[in-house]
Amino acid sequence: MPVISTRGLTHLYGKGTPFEVAAIKDINIDIEKGELVGIIGHTGSGKSTLIQHLNGILKPEKGTVMLNGNDIWSSKQSIREARFQVGLCFQYPEYQLFEETVYKDIAFGPKNMKLGDDEIDRRVLAAAEYVGLKADLLQKSPFDLSGGEKRRAAIAGVMAMEPAVLILDEPTAGLDPRGRDKILDLIKKYRDNTGSTILLVSHCMEDIARLASRVLVLENAVVAMFGSVQEVYSRGTELFDMGLNVPQVTRIFAGLRDRGLDVSAGIYTVEQGRQELLRFFGKGAKA
Amino acid sequence: MIKDITIGQYFPGRSILHRMDARMKIVLTFAVIVLIFLCKSFFSMGLMVAFVIALVFASRVPLKTVLKSLKPIFFIVIFTAVLNIFYTTGGAWTISIWVLKISEKGVFTALFMAVRIICLVVISSLLTYTTTPTSLTDALERLLSPLKIFKIEVHTIAMMMTLALRFIPTLIEEIDRIMSAQKARGADWESGSLVSRAKALVPVLVPLFVSSFRRAYELAFAMECRCYTGGKGRTRMKQMKLRVIDFVSMTVTAALLAGIIMLNIYFDKVIA
Repeated sequence: MPVISTRGLTHLYGKGTPFEVAAIKDINIDIEKGELVGIIGHTGSGKSTLIQHLNGILKPEKGTVMLNGNDIWSSKQSIREARFQVGLCFQYPEYQLFEETVYKDIAFGPKNMKLGDDEIDRRVLAAAEYVGLKADLLQKSPFDLSGGEKRRAAIAGVMAMEPAVLILDEPTAGLDPRGRDKILDLIKKYRDNTGSTILLVSHCMEDIARLASRVLVLENAVVAMFGSVQEVYSRGTELFDMGLNVPQVTRIFAGLRDRGLDVSAGIYTVEQGRQELLRFFGKGAKA
Repeated sequence: MIKDITIGQYFPGRSILHRMDARMKIVLTFAVIVLIFLCKSFFSMGLMVAFVIALVFASRVPLKTVLKSLKPIFFIVIFTAVLNIFYTTGGAWTISIWVLKISEKGVFTALFMAVRIICLVVISSLLTYTTTPTSLTDALERLLSPLKIFKIEVHTIAMMMTLALRFIPTLIEEIDRIMSAQKARGADWESGSLVSRAKALVPVLVPLFVSSFRRAYELAFAMECRCYTGGKGRTRMKQMKLRVIDFVSMTVTAALLAGIIMLNIYFDKVIA
C-alpha cells in the first residue's frame, strides 16, 4: 500500500473571483514506502501547493489525500496525525527559527507531539546528529549560527518529529556548493538510516539525479511526467520545452551521441559519466 | 484567510477623479467634508447628496465596491441615529412611548446625522479608491511642507508612510509563510485557552520581527547605495501639476458652497 496517495487532487486560488486559477488540477500520485521522489517543475507549476496538501496545511478543493490509505481530512485527529507523520520543511526554513537556543527550537515539534522529556531529548540529539550540528552549538541562540548551520538546524527541527514521510522544499536554495553538498549528503544519510520516504522539491536536475529514484514533473498545475529518473531524463527535449533542463552531463553525452560516438544515452551523474567514458576509451584502445 | 485583508483600496481607472491632482483631491475632500456639516435644510442636504452620488458615478468605481466601504460603519450610523432620536427634544410634535419620547426635531436630527456620516465616508473612500497610496503620501508631503518652518521633517514622515504601505503586503505574505511552517511542526493556535493561544503566537512573532529588521537593514543599505540622503535637493520623477481639470473641480466645489449657503438661507433650517 502506498504511504501517500492522492486522487483527483485539485486546488483553486481566488475561488469565486474573476482571478480564479487552478494551482493544481486532478493530481493522482502514489508514493511507496521508502522511496525518494524528486519533484521538479517551473516556478508556479504547483509544486509548493502540492506538497502543502500532503500534510494538510492546505485543504483540497476537490479530491483526497490519503496517508496509509486513510483520508487525512476525515477527522480533526487524523489531520493532526498527518502533520506529524508527514514532516514538511519549507523553502528557506531558517526563517522559522524562534527559540532561545537551537536545542529548544529543534524540540518544538516533538513538544507539540506531547512526547515525554526523555523521548524529546533523544530525538533532538538524534536529529542534531543527522544534520551534523555539534553538541556545543545546541545551547547557542539560533540567530548566532551561520547561514548553512541555521538551515540545518531548521531541517533538524522537522526531522526530530521522526515523520514517516519527509518533504523538503528546495533545501539547497541559496547555499554555496559546499553547503549544498552537506545538505544532500545528510538527506541521503538520513534516508539510509531511517528508511523514511522522502520527497525532494528542487529545480536542480543534478541534485535530483544524485538522490532520487523516481521523478515527478509538474507543468501548468498538472502531472506532466512521473517515472524513474531514467524515463524522465531521457525525454530531454520535452523537459527543455517546459523550461526545465536535464543535468549538464546528460546534455554532454547527448551531444557526443549526436556526433556519432557510441556512448550510452542514460547518463545522469558525473560519476556515471566517468565510468562510461572509461568504458568507451577502454573499448576504443582495444579496437 | 489572512490574504483577504485589503489595505490601500485603490481601484484602478482613468476617470475624472482618477486624473485629478492628488493634492487638490485631498484639499477638496476636506472642503466637502466641512460642507456636509453646513447643510441644514432639506434642500441643501439634498444638493449635497446629489453631489456625492454624481461623484460616485464620475469615479466609475462600481457601486458595489463603494457600498462595501459603508459596511463597517453601519453600526455607528444606527447608533448615532438612535441616540439622536431619543435625546433631542423640541419641534412641532412629540410622541411618548413608555419612558421614551420621540420628538419631531429628534427624528430630523437623527436622519441628518445618518446621511452626514454616510456622505462623509463615501467621499473619503472615493479619495482612496481613486488615488494610489504613493501619490497620496506624495501629496501629503507637499501639503504639509509648510511645517518645515517648525523643523518637522515632512519628507521623512512621508517616506516612512510610503515604505510602511509598501511593506504591508510583504509582511502579510511572510506571516502566512511562517504560520504554515510552524503549523507543519504541530503549532496549534486554534484550540486551548486564551493564554495558551497567545503563547502559541510567539513562534510566529519572533521570526516575523527578525525578518522585519533584516528587511529594514537591507532596504536602508539599498537606499544608501542609491545615494539617498533624505529630502534635501530631491526631485521627482512624476512632477505634480495642477491642470484645467483641477481648477474646474475647485470651481465646482465653490459653486457647491454657494448653493448650500443659498439653500440654507432661503429654506427653513431643520437642525441647528
